[in-house]
Amino acid sequence: MLSIIKLRILRLKDDVSVLILMTVMAFGLTAIFGISFNQYRPTVLIVDEDKSSYSENLIDELKRNNAFNFVNSDIDNAQVGIEEGKAAAALLINKGFNDNIENGKNVDLGIMKIKDDAMILALQEMLTSITMKMSVGIHISNITSELVYTEKPEINKEEIKLNAYKNIMESWKYKNPIKVTATIANTGTNSGYDNLMHSIIGFTMFFSMYTMVFSIGTILYDKQYKTWERMLVSPVSKSSIVGGSIVVSYLTGAVQMGILILGGKYLFSVDWGNSIAGVLMICAAFIFAVTSLGLMMSSFIKTQAQLGSIAPIVLTSTSMLGGCMWPLEIVNNKALLFLAELTPQKWAVQGVENIASKGMGIEAAVIPTIVLLTMGIIYFTIGVKRIS
Amino acid sequence: MLKIKNLYKNFGSIKAVEGVSFEVKKGDIYGLLGPNGAGKSTTISIISTLLQPTSGEVLYEGSNIFLDSKPIRRDLGIVPQDIALYPTLTGYENLLFWGNVYGLKGSQLKKRISEISDIVGLNERIKDRVDKYSGGMKRRLNIGAALLHMPKLLIMDEPTVGIDPQSRNHILDTVLELNKQGITIIYTSHYMEEVEYLCNQICIMDEGKVIALGRKSELVELVKEKTQISIRFDKTDVCVLNSLKEIRGVFDANIVDEGITLFGDNGDTLLAEIIAKATEHGRRIESIDVKKPNLEAVFLHLTGKALRD
Repeated sequence: MLSIIKLRILRLKDDVSVLILMTVMAFGLTAIFGISFNQYRPTVLIVDEDKSSYSENLIDELKRNNAFNFVNSDIDNAQVGIEEGKAAAALLINKGFNDNIENGKNVDLGIMKIKDDAMILALQEMLTSITMKMSVGIHISNITSELVYTEKPEINKEEIKLNAYKNIMESWKYKNPIKVTATIANTGTNSGYDNLMHSIIGFTMFFSMYTMVFSIGTILYDKQYKTWERMLVSPVSKSSIVGGSIVVSYLTGAVQMGILILGGKYLFSVDWGNSIAGVLMICAAFIFAVTSLGLMMSSFIKTQAQLGSIAPIVLTSTSMLGGCMWPLEIVNNKALLFLAELTPQKWAVQGVENIASKGMGIEAAVIPTIVLLTMGIIYFTIGVKRIS
Repeated sequence: MLKIKNLYKNFGSIKAVEGVSFEVKKGDIYGLLGPNGAGKSTTISIISTLLQPTSGEVLYEGSNIFLDSKPIRRDLGIVPQDIALYPTLTGYENLLFWGNVYGLKGSQLKKRISEISDIVGLNERIKDRVDKYSGGMKRRLNIGAALLHMPKLLIMDEPTVGIDPQSRNHILDTVLELNKQGITIIYTSHYMEEVEYLCNQICIMDEGKVIALGRKSELVELVKEKTQISIRFDKTDVCVLNSLKEIRGVFDANIVDEGITLFGDNGDTLLAEIIAKATEHGRRIESIDVKKPNLEAVFLHLTGKALRD
């Protein structure tokens, strides 16, 4: 098998340009779909009169939200900005915010605005939600530090409190204490959907499929070049030939997906969620499923040229069905949703999105991984049987 | 070394091979001769374990190759009819891969690649991509890839198809040289001249069947045909004709196209006497053409059609 692996690696140099092109395309289209077509984000100016650690904390939390473009300002510039229509509203964090929130009192936040509309309502909902999270966090961290201090007086109480607060806020990262049900502006954002996130996941799956399918399709070149028969009469077994080809195809797909995931993180600042192990688990199963799909497709056709014409049709249509290009949440047709269930892309995109966008843990990866592995085993079995 | 016993291979209703039996002994250059579609390549595919026969046996060193294919796969070098190389890789990379496939590695493999490059005459171009090679060079590399692991048995399936005379001669010389080194060779071709030139044992096939086999001289015996000698003198007349007819072993002689054509048993001994008679009559010989009975004639005799029909 080692000789076949070496051959496939040697022959990868023929496909390097395709590999690079597919990676660049994924990044390019993510940029176009994720950034250009992203929703309008109204600007909200923040005037921090309190300048305390909790007011800074509030600003950080606000800036993590994609629904509004929060910009620091002062009171004068905020007034001018709103009057001139450069900002939709200004948020005033009044003096005493720190003490009030720490002592469990009502916090004093003001909103400077021209008129009341759905956007202002959404902003108010968000502020309520975030301040409630902070308040709960502070309360729990106080109790935690008191409790630990009672047990172990030698510890630094403030440090415990700070760490507890950080951990609590981190655990709220993908969740809201209040579920917004009113159909006001941008409720979709609160449900966890992020266009940039969806684009990078979808295009990562979509373009890496091409690389993997064409990589395993190199078996068709063996047949075209008549080296397949020559290998078959050599001491190398057929399973080694297929196995070696799959290993290299799998690794190629893994490298490309790795580049796309890291590119998403560092180029587009995509947060892949709390469970990177879950994301990797789904990706590993997806690569297996797609490599096996490529093997099965190659077993039904005779030449690389045929694969070149069939693969784009199969991969693009299943990617559209599977939600690589747009979220399946916008699809209502039951037949289409049923067909989506049959595509590996649906399970991979949904699984990764649940972890990356909705903050779920590794448990969200289990079902998609099982489904993808099952699909992979079916494709693999058919492919190997037909090739044999 | 290799025994093929009553081999049959059907593809649906098509009988590609019907009852083929022959034996290849160690050191032979065994020729499989026949027109396209005679069943040569199917027979070769079965011997090389690529195809399972419908019935029959192939014994390599006494063992049935379909019960245990490892020994023959290990010892066999195969030169397929089609160029079986990766065109986007260099000649060196191709040899590296095929060497790896046969378990060669490291310095041993590098040494063999160097030797093989010498044998097939590609030393200068071995680091070039194969798609930059001429047809003849690809054919030679195709042979080289089969020699890396020093096979005991080499099967060459039409190795000279579609190449220039220079490369063809190089390949034929290579075959003889490899045989001298102890490699047993099965050589299939529809070029009668190649098989006559190279092979000590010949099996003639047609329509999936063996129609004759043996040494060339034994096959020619089947035809009962005489050597034909055509001579052109500076002046041809009945006097010379009668004189030539008197030579012992000459069966018939006639004046044809201002020359004399005669038929005899042994062309080599007749030539000396023809030259003596011409000198005796003061005639100068302008040309002599000797046509010995060949495998083309044997095939024609046995099948009623020309080898290249």
